Amino acid sequence: MGWNVYLVLWCGVFGAVALTGYVRSLAGMTRAQRTVRTTGRIERVDEPRHGSSPKDGIAVVVSFQDPATGEEFTVTNDGERGERVGVAWTGREIGVHYPPGRPHAFRFADHPSEGGRGLGWPAFALFLVYAGPVTVAAVERGWPWALVGFCGPWALYAAYHLPGNVRDRNRRIDALDAMAAVPGRVVAVLKSVSTDDDGHTSTHLVPVVSFTTLDGRAVTAYCESALPDPAGSRGLDVTIHYTPHDPAVFVLDVEAERRSWKRDMAVNVVGVVIIAAAAVAGVIAW
Amino acid sequence: MPIIAGASPPGHDSPAALARGFLTGGVVGASPAALVVGAVTGKPPLFVAGLVLPALCGLLFFLAGRPRRIREAAAVPRTALAVVESLQAVRGEASDIPVRFELSVAPDDGPSYRVEITQDFNLVDLPDYRPRGVVVVQYPPDRPWRVRIVKRPTPQWEERAAAARLDSAPATVTVTAPPEGGAFCLVAPLGLLLGAAAVVLPFRADLVGQDVTAKPPSAARPSVTSTSSASSTSTTVVSSVSGTVALGPGRSFLDKGELGRALGSLTRGGDTRRALTVVVRERLLSIVFSPSGTRTPGFDPRTLPRSRFSALVEDATATLGVRSPRTWQITADRLTGSLVIRVAVSGAEGTASLEADGQGRVVRRAPAR
Repeated sequence: MGWNVYLVLWCGVFGAVALTGYVRSLAGMTRAQRTVRTTGRIERVDEPRHGSSPKDGIAVVVSFQDPATGEEFTVTNDGERGERVGVAWTGREIGVHYPPGRPHAFRFADHPSEGGRGLGWPAFALFLVYAGPVTVAAVERGWPWALVGFCGPWALYAAYHLPGNVRDRNRRIDALDAMAAVPGRVVAVLKSVSTDDDGHTSTHLVPVVSFTTLDGRAVTAYCESALPDPAGSRGLDVTIHYTPHDPAVFVLDVEAERRSWKRDMAVNVVGVVIIAAAAVAGVIAW
Repeated sequence: MPIIAGASPPGHDSPAALARGFLTGGVVGASPAALVVGAVTGKPPLFVAGLVLPALCGLLFFLAGRPRRIREAAAVPRTALAVVESLQAVRGEASDIPVRFELSVAPDDGPSYRVEITQDFNLVDLPDYRPRGVVVVQYPPDRPWRVRIVKRPTPQWEERAAAARLDSAPATVTVTAPPEGGAFCLVAPLGLLLGAAAVVLPFRADLVGQDVTAKPPSAARPSVTSTSSASSTSTTVVSSVSGTVALGPGRSFLDKGELGRALGSLTRGGDTRRALTVVVRERLLSIVFSPSGTRTPGFDPRTLPRSRFSALVEDATATLGVRSPRTWQITADRLTGSLVIRVAVSGAEGTASLEADGQGRVVRRAPAR
């Protein structure tokens, strides 16, 4: 009796939240739907200073036009401005979004996109509504209910998306073969030192590579992996493999990247199998 | 130092700020108190209330602060040039350290003013900022003291800063944030105390009762919170461990509805306290309650088959050879697992008894000896 009252309250509150969210989304009123999304153009790229912080991203000057008023804005990525600009070249198009009527509150996105429907929170509330009865059932009637209740739908969801994920990984592996190779150079190594509550300091190093594409675009990019000794890599000559239609996708070691994607695909499949096995174990023990 | 304070925004020491401080203190006091009292007295609703209350309060503050946040976000920040009067790194071992600046801000459309700010800077970038250097700053138009140095100005402002020659503002025109309201600190502890008291005081009887039952049973005695109500026809005494109802002359617990009323008076308020033993005599009802928080085999006294009691006494009187009963007594307990109702009648022939189950069905008879 006591449990049921709380369960009804739990489901009622989060059900109302989910319903409100879905209604708002249908009416086109969510923040994600109302956000103005436009495309900005990088006008200038400043070379990062060796030893400076990587958290602000590569300093760029971006111009964009407000679709509502037609007004042109020239801005920089100073302070908290959305996604960090990690790859930049003059002329690159990046996403710029802001609340309607407030272009001064702009945020950058690595790629121009349509944006979602703002269903993240309603979906989470719906999950909580579902998790409530499953948890109560697991507590009152035994752990198989938890396995079936949680792993069952999760396994179905993962299995549904598995073919798409495999196709995506295969496409990425194929794209590695089509990459163009150009010489590049590590122009700076950025450093971020942080101290935790216990007084331990940790250092995060980010090499910055610079290369010119075959069609003449001078790219500056953070390169967070694939260098064996990032601390002493300044001035190092490297070979950059990049996707011709988007130099933002580049790697230094094609074979390592290929192995990484294959491993990722295997982990994906094994993960689905494990979740499905847990759900089946729950059904057997029911 | 003479100070020109910025236009004081509403909210400091206003009734709304006082209410906010009182409410915050109240929730901070009431929520842990509800968690503790709920756990100690075994009242899940109280415990849950202790969890839900801060969430509700947070939601309330979020909604109440929404118009202000929307207003502030809609304001376009102003950009201006400023002169660094002095700077001093505060502390830190990380690569980004807080630096305290004293700036002379020169807005395009107003008089210059001084302001002190603290902002994080990377050690590598710090040499770019020197005393008498010109920097680009931004601030909200309604809060000129919230100045932020623009580390990456646009090309247009970069050129302006490079070409500018600015004079320092007099130290007498320093703009600072309005002082925080002291009343908040005054009412918040008051709210905290009242919030905790509002939870603890109504349940103090249960808390004291817990202490009593924690001792050996021989030490348990009626709680000081016993209440007594006397009328011309009955007397009720209830404590945390037992309750009794004594009827006045000329009345009997076998009278219709009498026992139900008496049980109701001992378990009123929807309290589902469980009983260890219920003893009913002609004019005296006694209940020994189960200690809270223990797993003793108790039962809800209101579930007794009261309508069968009269018939059980008659049954015992008529069939057990007791022709002139002087006293009778019904005892109900479930010490052996299931609810057992024992009816004993005494008379000149001795004492006879019978046993009935939870539904009032006779399961055993013991004739008079």
